[in-house]
Amino acid sequence: MEGNEGHRLREIGAKDSFLFAPISSLSILYSHRFLIQNLLKRETKGRYTNSFLGYSWTVLEPALLSAVYYFLFIMLADNPDRYYPAWVIIGVIVWTCFGKCLQSTVTSLTRNASTIHLVYFPRIIFSYSSIGSTIWTTMMSSLVLLPLLLAYNVQISWQLLLVPLAIFLAAFNAVGLGLLLAPANCINRDIEHLIRFIVRAGFFVSPVMWTWDMAVERGWAADVIVWNPMVFPITLARDGFMGHVTEFPVHGVMISIAWGLLMWIIGSALFSKFEHSAVKYL
Amino acid sequence: MSEQSIVVEDVSLSFPKKKSILQIFKKTDSSNFLALNSVSFSVKKGEVLGIIGRNGCGKSTLLRVIAGIFSPDTGQCRSAGKISLLAGLGTGFTGHLTGRENAFLYGSILGHEQSLMKELMKEIISFSELEAFIDEPLRTYSAGMKARLGLAVASALNPEILLIDEVLGVGDPVFKEKSKKKILDMVAEAGTVVIVSHSFDLMTSICDRVIHMNGGEIKFTGDPKEAIASYYALEQGRK
Repeated sequence: MEGNEGHRLREIGAKDSFLFAPISSLSILYSHRFLIQNLLKRETKGRYTNSFLGYSWTVLEPALLSAVYYFLFIMLADNPDRYYPAWVIIGVIVWTCFGKCLQSTVTSLTRNASTIHLVYFPRIIFSYSSIGSTIWTTMMSSLVLLPLLLAYNVQISWQLLLVPLAIFLAAFNAVGLGLLLAPANCINRDIEHLIRFIVRAGFFVSPVMWTWDMAVERGWAADVIVWNPMVFPITLARDGFMGHVTEFPVHGVMISIAWGLLMWIIGSALFSKFEHSAVKYL
Repeated sequence: MSEQSIVVEDVSLSFPKKKSILQIFKKTDSSNFLALNSVSFSVKKGEVLGIIGRNGCGKSTLLRVIAGIFSPDTGQCRSAGKISLLAGLGTGFTGHLTGRENAFLYGSILGHEQSLMKELMKEIISFSELEAFIDEPLRTYSAGMKARLGLAVASALNPEILLIDEVLGVGDPVFKEKSKKKILDMVAEAGTVVIVSHSFDLMTSICDRVIHMNGGEIKFTGDPKEAIASYYALEQGRK
């Protein structure tokens, strides 16, 4: 490139330093918005084709799942808390959002191998559009909370907006790790199987079937569990549902947000560094 | 001296062999597969360059390096102007979306703007001869219909450098003629073109120069007829 002044030739595939990747990924999002919009449409429309109930499944799935967990918990623990079904349903919704975001980002390159081989555009678009589609379906799922509000006679308040915020946070917590592992998954598919296991195991380590308050009652448990970055989003959504801003400890909030931010920076930097060599394995 | 549009300098590219358990039983060495071996050439502005060679000789890989899909291990590849690769018509086509939605999806994958796609939709429908079918799901389409839709969208491409990888020869004879004409129109319009094809008649008629590749290396560059002769000489020698 140097010594070619006045020449219009530019190196193909030349990129900014990967250190700027988080910032440039945002500008990629904007410049390719029409493409992302179409990819989103494909993913969201594809999810429920040829099904009679269609989009209702986004609401039905967490509702049915929560019913199962509810009975399981009642049998095991005889829980007196009448809000427990609501806690579980919110936990399932927010955790599923995290899990699906993580899995779809990790597999975003491998699932789109045929497109990647035929046309070039920044591959991070695949990852972001799968995240977008998961956020969209999770938002639809969270509509199940509206009848629940009526059932519990909970006042509708502005704090309800904390629920979508929590969903965003859950997705954000998954992005970085997903981007980090997506190129590695091209080389070795063990990654996606490992992630599937982690999502299942994480279900129990995160407050899906239990709550932050239950951990606090155990004393020391809360000190350990606060390091799980998914505790805050789930707790935030539950508090929002009840109409109060969370009383979650500040350092726990910081841990969750710092994890998301740090992983996003590292993840997008490494994604842009390794995507080129990774696609040769597809 | 006329302006260069594409400059490929000493480009090498190897594909890693898959790590699989089966590899233990095979006694092949585990080194990488060298798809391109220090390839150098340049294309002038307005030139139509053909690439021929047997299957697996690296033709398509070379086009993909120029398109930016694969980045070379060594060497570099420079270009002036917007590049589009025409390969595998209908990338991203999805059965459950309608023809219209797929046209938008494919168009956006190829880098068309939304406003352009809206403008072109009428033309796309008439060229693909789909008419009322355009709002039916793609899974109800025949292979020929998909190919027609793909070409209709792709032909809206208006790049400064056009790369074509074996896209001729789909559909019935009438459409085949029509698509050949369309691609020739695109070639004429784009100016700078690199085309990979096994159709030697086409190559001699449209190419200014032809490269003959073998085993990831350039064997011959120059006059189309001589390049084809070089190809046959090599293939006959193989027997």
